Amino acid sequence: MSALDEVLGGGWPRAALSEISGRRTTGRTAVVLAALARAARAGEAVALVDMGGALDPRAAAAAGLALPRLLWVRCAVGEALKAVDLVVSAGGFDVVALDLGDERPRVPTSAWIRLKHGAERQGTSVLVATPARAVGAFAAAAIELSAPTPRFLTDAGPPLLDGARVKVTCVRRLNRNLERESERSVASPRGARGDRGTASGSEPAPRQEGGELCAWLAFGCRS
Amino acid sequence: MRVACVWVPQLALQSVLRREPELRGSAAALLMKTTSGTAKGRPRIVEVSNEARRAGVVPGMTGAQASAACPGVRLLSATPADVEAAEGALADVGFSFAPRVEREPEHVFFAVEDLGRLYPLGEAALAQTIQAQAARVGLEARVAIADGKAVARVASRARELAAVPAGSDGARAFLAPLPVTMLTDDEELRAAFRRWGTRTAGQIAALPLDAAAVRLGAAGARVCRLARGLLGDADEPFLPALPQDALEEAIDLEYRVYEIEPLAFVLRGLVDRALARLAGRGLACAGLTVRLSLDPRGLDVRAVPIAAPTRDAATLIQLLRLDLARRPPDAPVIGARLVALPARVRATQLDFLRAAGPAPDKLAATIARLAALVGPENVGAPAVVDTWREEAAAVAPFSFSSNAPLPAPANDGATLTIRRLRPPQEIEVLVDLRGPVALRGRDTTARVLIAAGPYRASGEWWREENFARAYWDVHASDGAVYRLHQDERDGRWFLDGYYD
Repeated sequence: MSALDEVLGGGWPRAALSEISGRRTTGRTAVVLAALARAARAGEAVALVDMGGALDPRAAAAAGLALPRLLWVRCAVGEALKAVDLVVSAGGFDVVALDLGDERPRVPTSAWIRLKHGAERQGTSVLVATPARAVGAFAAAAIELSAPTPRFLTDAGPPLLDGARVKVTCVRRLNRNLERESERSVASPRGARGDRGTASGSEPAPRQEGGELCAWLAFGCRS
Repeated sequence: MRVACVWVPQLALQSVLRREPELRGSAAALLMKTTSGTAKGRPRIVEVSNEARRAGVVPGMTGAQASAACPGVRLLSATPADVEAAEGALADVGFSFAPRVEREPEHVFFAVEDLGRLYPLGEAALAQTIQAQAARVGLEARVAIADGKAVARVASRARELAAVPAGSDGARAFLAPLPVTMLTDDEELRAAFRRWGTRTAGQIAALPLDAAAVRLGAAGARVCRLARGLLGDADEPFLPALPQDALEEAIDLEYRVYEIEPLAFVLRGLVDRALARLAGRGLACAGLTVRLSLDPRGLDVRAVPIAAPTRDAATLIQLLRLDLARRPPDAPVIGARLVALPARVRATQLDFLRAAGPAPDKLAATIARLAALVGPENVGAPAVVDTWREEAAAVAPFSFSSNAPLPAPANDGATLTIRRLRPPQEIEVLVDLRGPVALRGRDTTARVLIAAGPYRASGEWWREENFARAYWDVHASDGAVYRLHQDERDGRWFLDGYYD
């Protein structure tokens, strides 16, 4: 996942709302589980609000996620935002993921604002996994996963799923320093935020395509 | 042995005032049906507050007489639940200071010899602390510390706070000015002493012991020994008891409660009183059981699990309210009994450099609220089920206790994991000799580009719901890689999910 960290400029932002969007087999769930697993391994409590209950515990454990440290909330469409708000408000969770699955619920703007403020207040990284971008400007970081290319082993007889290659594009990355700068220079017409995937000089520089940072992620498969 | 005696006079009246603390300081009288005498079965005043007594209300009056004597007097009635809870609270005052307590009606006794280090200011300060603890649980108590139970009991009647000097001489000097009526409740003995012209304990102590014993018997001799400060542990041994496993608070309502919010308001009082008792013992609540008496008959018993011991009343009330909202009582409520399970507060050594994780009490409340929102079966830690069924998943109780870091796995790379459709969705699949070539489901219609399989799995042959499946991983033309299976018993196809 180092390529993803590079695209994000060092990883998911803390105390902020972030978004992972992508269609089926783009590795959305894998990215979420990797973030949860990393935090759980560090000794933190993590939570997953799972719309539809799509998590496979066996696969999650195989992905390195310490299951006893994961609070798993299976819920329906109408309950997801309320559930994630409750978990974030409780405090103490390092990463809280909201997995919207294939659903595209109509979410009021106020809900994202509330979630963003909750994340900032509690110091929690809130990841929202959606099939298409939904959080918009309330996300401190947003990546888009696309162009999945599954890899099948066909050398020794019948095909066998081996993994997939996915393009990850950072469509939004709020640079806190730039934000502060822009706040200081509100009067200046040049004080606009450079939060659309801009990379500072010291950051690793993934490939740029049309002004956006992108990279390729390779996923294995343990089916 | 130095013994503390905590006496709560008029415990029945105080049990009502404990339930309704706003009545403290006002004229109140306890009305109860008499069980003997000419007025048997009729309600009479049995206990009165100081304010009512000053206004002329005395025990034995009828309610009308009391109201005539003191127009503003509040006539109260105590239920067995009130008295029982007050007795339990009184015992907990003792358990706040000692591991073993002896209980008597309206009294508790406990040894205070070992408390010198904790209360170095002396026994008078200790008695004051005990009285303050009684006030915290809603009881107005009189406290005395003396050598032996008998002297302590008399001293508590004599003064609100008393520390009788150690030794028989000190006790004799303390008791000397007290009237005989404080030494014994036996009317015959009192009359005998009155006939002899002995009015104080000091005068009784001056009587020859043997002669008094011959004339008054064993009871009279006991009073004489008490007046001399000679009644010790051998005469009245200390019979301690251990605290009860659970702590109960109860209330019988004079009206019916139909809705959850008023009921939660009633339960709030019970929870507050229970927590005050627990706090005095340095304990927290680890579990709640609520027994609701329903109208006209029936009980609604519900156990409210708590993830971690807590003393936070708001959390407990929230848990109760959520439980009531999830499963409201079937009938109006006319009484409630709260049983709190005491437990030590979890002591956690936090790491200086690592996050503490969710606070146990907040986590408990959050899980309860989530359970109320999505159902208790949908909240917890995921658990792997020991079966060959791929879609099997279980939810275990979530309790975050360890924040020790875990070693990184050998392969830290991200892996595609399957997103399950629960239950598997039945689909139509077009097959040829090599396997699936097209699939059509509720929201999936695609050609199959690559199909990997079949991977056969079967099991649970000993059950009627056994399974025999042929699994396939198919790369569909919509770009996704699906996991599907054919039930080999009836040939139907199901979509298990997709890799993501």
